[in-house]
Amino acid sequence: MIEQAVLYLFVGLVLLGGLMAAFARQVLYAIIGLGVALLGLSGVFLFLGSPFVAAMQLLIYIGGITVAIVFAMMLSISMAVQPPQSHRGKSALAVVAGALFFAAVFVAMRGAEFPSPAGALPADAWAISRIGHLLLNAYNVVFETLSVVLLLAIVGAILIARRERKTA
Amino acid sequence: MTLESYLALGLALFSLGLVAALSQRNLIAVLIGIELMMNAASLNFMAFNRYVVEDPAVGQVFVLIIIGLAAAEVAIFLSIILRLYRQRREIDSEHITTLKG
Repeated sequence: MIEQAVLYLFVGLVLLGGLMAAFARQVLYAIIGLGVALLGLSGVFLFLGSPFVAAMQLLIYIGGITVAIVFAMMLSISMAVQPPQSHRGKSALAVVAGALFFAAVFVAMRGAEFPSPAGALPADAWAISRIGHLLLNAYNVVFETLSVVLLLAIVGAILIARRERKTA
Repeated sequence: MTLESYLALGLALFSLGLVAALSQRNLIAVLIGIELMMNAASLNFMAFNRYVVEDPAVGQVFVLIIIGLAAAEVAIFLSIILRLYRQRREIDSEHITTLKG
């Protein structure tokens, strides 16, 4: 009973944050909406059986990405202070596009049938150690590729954002 | 909640992210919309992982990889925003029509 209430609280946080991010005029409110949605989503991940992914969501998304976006907002302050007039037509078209997408996929989802898992799960199916074993054995190539991608992203970000010296 | 309701939640989040990415003019707000869509994808992975597949560790590995790729994407996107702001003093998606330096 209480578990259900907490789950619906998290679901409400996700939807509230998404609405804030989609319709906020000030970019700071959009960032706060993103943070609220990510917080609710990590709670939903807890209910989906994975405390590890929920913790990673909190650490990386809320602790890292949201804070980085706030820094970028403060460094490009002019639009944060004076939000431009939004085009009425453009916003309305965007809402129509989102609603159409929602309706189409929702209809397709109602018509789909999903299989149930065949056998019983092994006892340690949800253990964190299994994730580590998979990452370092079956998905080792993906793991290493991801680390290279992150390294290249860091180098690229520094190259793009650095201040160029005045060449004499 | 059933699998369908989790999928509907992910779908709603994706649609909201789509609206944000299409309607906002500030590039940072567009980035926020893209982040919401990526999170909706991870939620779908986690829901199928919980209710359909036979090895629930695989979906968690997928979501971790999505989170890592999102971090790389945000780093590049924010550095492009900073560069644009330094050169043109604005990050309005209506006015920035080229990435040529």
